[in-house]
Amino acid sequence: MDEKNKKKILVVDDEITVCKSIRQAILSDDYEVDMALSGEEALKKDEDKQYDLIVTDLMMPGITGMDLLKSLKKKKPETNIIMITGYPTIKTAVESIKIGAFDYIPKPFTPAELRSLVFRSFKKSESLEKGEEAPLEIKMPSGLHFMIGHTWLRPEENNIAFVGVVFDFLQTVGEIIYLELPKINDSLNQGELCAKIIDDEKFSYRIWSPASGRVVEINKVLGKDYSLLKKDPYKQGWLFKLDLANWEEDRKGLLLSK
Amino acid sequence: MVIFKRFCRSFLNLPLRAKFILSFLAVICLGGILTLTFGTRLEHKTIFSLAQAKVRHDLASAWMVYNEKLNSLKDIIRLTSSRESLYSALKQDKEEILLKYLSRVREEFNLDILTLTDAQGKVFLRTTQPDIKGDDQSKDPLVKRALKNETVSSTQIIPRKELLKEGNELAERAYLEIIPTPKAAPQYEYYEEKGMMLKAASPLVDENGVVLAVLYGGILLNKSHEIVDRVKEIVYKGEKYKGREIGTATIFQHDLRISTNVKNVNGERAIGTRVSNEVSQAVLKEGKPWIDRAFVVNDWYITAYEPIKNVDMEIIGILYVGMLEKPYIDLRNEVMITFSGMAVLCVFLLLVLLFFIISSIINPLKRVVFATNKIAQGDLSHKIEINFQDEIGQLAQSFNQMTLDLKKANQKLIHWGKTLEKRVKERTRKLQEMQDYLIQSEKLASLGKMAAGVAHEINNPLTSILINAHLMLEKTGEKHPFFENISLVADETSRCSDIVKGMLEFSRQNPPKKSYVSMNEIIEHTIKLLENQVAFKDIQIIRKISSNMPQINLDKDKIKQVFWNLMINASEAMPRGGTLTISSNLSKDKKYIETSFEDDGVGIPEENINKLFDPFFTTKGVGTGLGLAVSYGIIKQHQGKIKVKSDAGQGSVFTILLPLTE
Repeated sequence: MDEKNKKKILVVDDEITVCKSIRQAILSDDYEVDMALSGEEALKKDEDKQYDLIVTDLMMPGITGMDLLKSLKKKKPETNIIMITGYPTIKTAVESIKIGAFDYIPKPFTPAELRSLVFRSFKKSESLEKGEEAPLEIKMPSGLHFMIGHTWLRPEENNIAFVGVVFDFLQTVGEIIYLELPKINDSLNQGELCAKIIDDEKFSYRIWSPASGRVVEINKVLGKDYSLLKKDPYKQGWLFKLDLANWEEDRKGLLLSK
Repeated sequence: MVIFKRFCRSFLNLPLRAKFILSFLAVICLGGILTLTFGTRLEHKTIFSLAQAKVRHDLASAWMVYNEKLNSLKDIIRLTSSRESLYSALKQDKEEILLKYLSRVREEFNLDILTLTDAQGKVFLRTTQPDIKGDDQSKDPLVKRALKNETVSSTQIIPRKELLKEGNELAERAYLEIIPTPKAAPQYEYYEEKGMMLKAASPLVDENGVVLAVLYGGILLNKSHEIVDRVKEIVYKGEKYKGREIGTATIFQHDLRISTNVKNVNGERAIGTRVSNEVSQAVLKEGKPWIDRAFVVNDWYITAYEPIKNVDMEIIGILYVGMLEKPYIDLRNEVMITFSGMAVLCVFLLLVLLFFIISSIINPLKRVVFATNKIAQGDLSHKIEINFQDEIGQLAQSFNQMTLDLKKANQKLIHWGKTLEKRVKERTRKLQEMQDYLIQSEKLASLGKMAAGVAHEINNPLTSILINAHLMLEKTGEKHPFFENISLVADETSRCSDIVKGMLEFSRQNPPKKSYVSMNEIIEHTIKLLENQVAFKDIQIIRKISSNMPQINLDKDKIKQVFWNLMINASEAMPRGGTLTISSNLSKDKKYIETSFEDDGVGIPEENINKLFDPFFTTKGVGTGLGLAVSYGIIKQHQGKIKVKSDAGQGSVFTILLPLTE
């Protein structure tokens, strides 16, 4: 791939070793990866070079990842930003989605995990550029709480809620060949892993739970037919039912569909 | 004053019944004594005035007898003097006939003297001593009046000279030796030779009324007891009281007893004794009658004295009557005794009545007191059975009500006490739990802060390692001799990441991710992970794991972490090798799965047991000191229990109880 078509990625982390490692993990023929060791540097570099994707650590001295996200989004709303988060900052990560981050990835992670995320982000940009629109029938119905580009949640009676994956996410994924769902009785935390998808390109995608709670039911139909997920993501394609544990708090991290 | 106060105090200390009885007794006795005193005095006065009235009346009777005697003498003398025969004999100067006739009259009428004088008052014929005549009697007050043609009678003192004229015998009768008498007026003479006589004189007149002669006669009263005995006979009818004459009468010549039936100690008539000075003064000097009790000779009498006067109204003696006082005294005493007896009987009856009245007051009170004591002893079920409606009845009702209220209040209190104890225990337990929780929370909070920092710091190197390991794996391929080593690095890095995640989760109190698993599998899996480690090289692991335990709902990763920690700890307690016994079975009450890790290592000193689960507590010099704290948190999250038993030098047992149902 020639230099011009190469995607420009900026990795931001205050620790050079980490920065280098991440750069190496995503470096490929298709990507040109730069590094910045602070939020300030990142902003400066972005001025010079319009990056297609910025991968930033959340917790940094000076301008934090969140600050960086906010100023980049302000300047150029279509910028793709992936947040790297430590476990203690998962709440902030969820919030970053609300503000406009494409996704986040908790430390430590494997190169493959990051690569699939990067891949997905470009896929999403591509589809946006192509002007692909979601078919009418799979537009998100109103009254759903959702993490942008991730999961949705539909509260039912008795504190029980349906959880599923939003179409935006699925659009960026190839043909699903494996779906790992939680087990009944598993406890989940908001923003943490609840399901994994592997597509035909062997990319593994991690799906974050929209809320905390206990899994009470699994969509067995989905286990037999993964295509339902893409065909009917908001109804028959639900993943599991959750017995909500901390809904009042969790809902603040979500948006409500109109 | 002090004594009075002491008396008051001891009186106030007496039982109520005694107080009542003493008070009433005092009132009754005071009343009784007053009544008795006034009654006795009144009775005495009444009896005495009655007696006085009687004695006054008796004196009148005595006077009647006395005057009757005097009048009869006067009649005898008048009738004799007016006899025709006497007149004719005198006319014819027949002296012998006169003497014979007059002597007969004198003897017939028991006269002591009967004498005839001529018209000049010279004695013409003296019947007692016919030879002595011619002496002048005209100076005699009676003869003097008779000479003036008047018939008179009177009591008269006759000198011894005149008595001797009538004969020695008469003079001797009048003679009396005066006996010294106590209470009498001072005595100046030792004898009395004058006599006292009832005397009457009457003239003999001719047809022209000219006095021819005077006839006079008399009865000597000295030692003649006719009058007094008659008085006694008539007035007192000879009544005797206990061998003594009730009534007595006396004629005094001046103050000397000359005729009496008062007896002296020898039982003889007490003539020759004298009247008391008091009476003598009143009667003889002042001429007043005397009526009072008096000591006569040797007994108390109720007496009446009145002066005897001669024809010239001069006081010459005393007439006396007396009643023995003893019958009256005895009567009075009898009345008094009866009265007193009745009073005593009344007091006794009153006391009996009082006793019952007081009892009817005291007994209910006693029941109240008894009930009070019962209550004081803590018996609140006691009830007073009093049904009447007086003050005590009301008291009893109030008391019962009070007792009931008290009982209710007490029960409430007891109930309170009981529940309070329970509540306090409950509260204390909760507080203890809270405190434990707080302490643990504080520890965990600091652990959390630390863990967050640590996680961030460790995550970065871990990220680098993980990425680089994976990149190496991608480059080398599976056939490369280092492939396995590098994948081990990658895997272990992931595990590190999981441990950090677990630590963070624990510090953030994240709910465990539970699922139903087999305890056996968890234990076996943990053993498998560890048994090939160097630390377990010399350690023999013995399994005592029950094969029929139900599946248990827990976060297997967390529990594995706990088991891991405990096993690592056990291995460190046995640096030179030993035996680790892992047992797991259903608890007796079938509510828990009980898993224990028993080593025979160095054991834990007692002072360290309480600190074991503190974050960062370590004795090993190596490690973080988080292992047991994290384990403790995980077990608590599972509502389980973790127990330690250790003897220094003998080894330790860590037992974990995990509930089958939440």
